[in-house]
Amino acid sequence: MSARLRWLVRQPWSWSFAAAIVVWLVAAVAAGQGAGGALTAALAFGTFYVIVGLGQMVVVTLGPGNVDLSIPSTIALAGVIGMKVMDGSNGGIVPGILAALAAGAAVGLANAGLVFLLRIPPIVATLSASFIVQSIAIEIGGGLLVKPPPALAWFATAAPLGLPLAALVALALSLLVSLVLARTIFGRTVSAIGQNRRAARLAGLQVNLVAVATYALSGVLSAVCGVLLASFSGGASLDMGVEYLLSSIAVVVIGGTSVNGGRASPAGVWGAALFLFLLVSMLNTLGFGAGTRMVLTGLVIIGVITAAGGERAA
Amino acid sequence: MTSRIAGLGFAAMLLLSAAHADAATAGKRIALSNNYAGNSWRQTMLTSWTDATGQAVKMGIVKEAPAFTTAENQVTEQAAQIQNMILQGYDAIVIDAASPNALNGAIKSACDAGITVISFDGVVTAPCAWRLTVDFKGMGAEQVEYLAQRLPQGGNLIQIRGLAGTSIDDAFNQGMLDELKRHPNFHLVSTVYGNWTQTVAQKAVAGVLPGLPDIAGVLTEGGDGYGAAQAFSSAGRKEPIIIMGNRQDELAWWKQQHDKDGYTTMSSSIAPGVVTLAFWVAQQVLDGHPPPKDLQVPYLKISQDTLADTLAKTPSGGLANKLYTQQDAEQLRAVGH
Repeated sequence: MSARLRWLVRQPWSWSFAAAIVVWLVAAVAAGQGAGGALTAALAFGTFYVIVGLGQMVVVTLGPGNVDLSIPSTIALAGVIGMKVMDGSNGGIVPGILAALAAGAAVGLANAGLVFLLRIPPIVATLSASFIVQSIAIEIGGGLLVKPPPALAWFATAAPLGLPLAALVALALSLLVSLVLARTIFGRTVSAIGQNRRAARLAGLQVNLVAVATYALSGVLSAVCGVLLASFSGGASLDMGVEYLLSSIAVVVIGGTSVNGGRASPAGVWGAALFLFLLVSMLNTLGFGAGTRMVLTGLVIIGVITAAGGERAA
Repeated sequence: MTSRIAGLGFAAMLLLSAAHADAATAGKRIALSNNYAGNSWRQTMLTSWTDATGQAVKMGIVKEAPAFTTAENQVTEQAAQIQNMILQGYDAIVIDAASPNALNGAIKSACDAGITVISFDGVVTAPCAWRLTVDFKGMGAEQVEYLAQRLPQGGNLIQIRGLAGTSIDDAFNQGMLDELKRHPNFHLVSTVYGNWTQTVAQKAVAGVLPGLPDIAGVLTEGGDGYGAAQAFSSAGRKEPIIIMGNRQDELAWWKQQHDKDGYTTMSSSIAPGVVTLAFWVAQQVLDGHPPPKDLQVPYLKISQDTLADTLAKTPSGGLANKLYTQQDAEQLRAVGH
């Protein structure tokens, strides 16, 4: 029992789940009802954090300085392109999804081009790319909300027995990413680059190719998020991705992925996503003023990261 | 002979002045300084500017009226933009500002250079500038009054606030809270922040809804009504009276609900076309007819009676809008005096 507990404490993802459970219980006790409903809502909204968080996690795992700041604008662009191609008809769903994914991959490849061909630091490269991507989204969408087809809207919002279907998509993607990271040459190469890029290259690994593919993967996952989010919230709007800039990084760090690269924690992304949603719900339920909410959000996140990091150092 | 030439000249002048009713501003250049373009309100605002000023340039009322938008919604960037406009010698700057006071230095240099500055939506406090302000406090109070009239027995309310720390959000909140004091049978059971963004509002409401009792009404600040409705329906709860903010998707949803079971609410917001009113005020100032510095702008209100008409005129996925005219600016000046 104690050995199992010690094993659990040492897992990088355990702290984010523990934090999620605590804020969930506090909110449920404070409200006096609705714990089940809160969990359903957390799964529904956590889905979007998880999907973009997985992409950000793989990029961050590449090592210091690697980050994708174009996620918000890619969400906006893919959402708009997807919904435009679908044009509100169920028949357009498959081509619409393919077009959105292609757009996401294109943004990811463009980012990689800036980072690896032009040698621009990733923070600057992906941020500059995001201005261009956002402008294209504005040009295509014209600032109008583009409605999803009914079948896709149903799929994105349905939650039979309190289990959102979209969360199953996120779960499948998480399992896939975990498997790829742990069991494939691509995944092992990502970790190897994060641990020591030079050593990875000298070991004969396809360092550049894998790094490029990683940015493309992040773009594709942002596109999945964009299509799901547009379907979930009644249409693709320009500002729907804005909040995912910082939260995509937050779920990665809180989830126990090493910011220095080399070690990913896909399970932790789930704990962190549920935690972030439930934290806001808890603070809203407790009814603090805006200033107190922000201070508490900052303190709690610092606390969770310190707890997770501190245990590992010991 | 000379009198004939003078007569011809006079006739030509008459003709010219008929064609160019505002010859005094025909050579003037007015620039729009805009701090953000990333949502549908701003996009509609920019289109309104292009439409109205394009027409004014064609009619020879002004020489040109280009729009400039900063990329990052940053004060420093907009200050630099204003400095550029001063160097380029514009006669007037119409501005939607990133901050009410942080741009005052740049605004003052513009005024000192003899440039007329008209602020709207995001207004500036610099004394030399004109302000087209909206009574957000009154808009907030009006929502509570409407709910009080619809629900005389009172009930539980949710308040969706906008972006924390902004003057607009503070004014809305003050208006709502003051009016709520006069209606003690309303209970504010939850306050969340929706950042004027549909997806954020939806998430915030969905997060608190499971723990809340029956809700009778939702107070909003615009951009959040449809998200709130989505949160209620996905939680399997009946939608209360949600105040809407003139978005087409909100109006379409409202009409659909009304046709189904007689659902009734109200909707209000500033029309993005308020930018055209700011343009005409600038033109009036350049024409030598300055209105008072502080002007109250009317907002666009939609009731059950005007819903169908307004919805028919609003583009799918856009916002209810109204373009203002030169006469509107003249009237504003008359009311101001």
